[in-house]
Amino acid sequence: MNRELTIWLLILAVGAITYCARLSFIALFARRDMPPLLARGLKHVPVAMLTAIVVPAVVFVPPGVLRIDPGNAKLIAALVAGIVAWWRQSAVLTIASGMIVLWALQYVLR
Amino acid sequence: MRRYFSRPAFYQGAREIAPMLIGIVPFGIVCGIGAIAAGASPAAALAMSMIMFSGAAQIVAVQLLVAGAPFAVILLSCLVVSLRLIMYSAAMAPYLRPLDHRWRNVLSFLLTDQAFAGTLQRFRRSPDIRANASYFLGSGAFIWVTWQVATLAGILAGRIVAASWQLDFVVPLCFLAVLVPLLRDRVSMLVFAVATVAVITLDAMPLRLSLVCGGLLAIGAGMLGDKFARGHE
Repeated sequence: MNRELTIWLLILAVGAITYCARLSFIALFARRDMPPLLARGLKHVPVAMLTAIVVPAVVFVPPGVLRIDPGNAKLIAALVAGIVAWWRQSAVLTIASGMIVLWALQYVLR
Repeated sequence: MRRYFSRPAFYQGAREIAPMLIGIVPFGIVCGIGAIAAGASPAAALAMSMIMFSGAAQIVAVQLLVAGAPFAVILLSCLVVSLRLIMYSAAMAPYLRPLDHRWRNVLSFLLTDQAFAGTLQRFRRSPDIRANASYFLGSGAFIWVTWQVATLAGILAGRIVAASWQLDFVVPLCFLAVLVPLLRDRVSMLVFAVATVAVITLDAMPLRLSLVCGGLLAIGAGMLGDKFARGHE
């Protein structure tokens, strides 16, 4: 299948998935209570999935190479950003501190 | 649509979500650059942001496209990444129930990590459905428009952005900003710990299936953790 066609099909399919997920309890099953088992599982989805997205981007630098050591600038930057996020629940400060630490370390480590 | 529209609340929603956009702009740029790098045409790259409208799903889709993953694997990964939208939908549903179906369809489309984080507190405080709906619409619409503009900037300016800027690092930082405030109890910490260990140990799995498997393992651990915590009450 050619790349462009694959991408368009993917856009429509994933678009349908994200929209159905968003509509799910607001519109599709609005009149139904959530099954308790689903409710218990879904509660943990944000932490589980956000962690699964964040952690590899920080500890595998470059992808596939595990770097849990102080020489990994991304790891240090993410730890600092994490502490900032814990201390001040501000997206702006979190992102700004992470990027500034990353740039500073890159400059120093070079 | 008029019935539930309040102009001041709409603008207030847009204004108060503005600080969140600082993370969304570079993230959108990264998505635009990534889609082009994965071989999408500029039109497809923009359509991706307009229709999928989910940074997490878009990044995962782009990475897997580059890795040459089969279509079904890409869909599965995007589905798992999008599960959290179901949870947001469920949390929002009671507050949106009084609205007619058109409002609910539109607001659902605009439901994102940022819109959810920015509006749920307000919904809990105020019972004014008209103001709340308009506030959500203002926040959501502003996020959507910003996302498109940022994606377009990435599509057009991708070649100018130097690799040494490490702009793609804003992606984990954006999610970190949403994630950390959720780690307020022991079971959440357990889910975080299990997800961390699982995605690291499972990284050798092909096609980034570590994302799906690690995430699901952590959800299971959280459910067990809840059971254990209840048992000790």
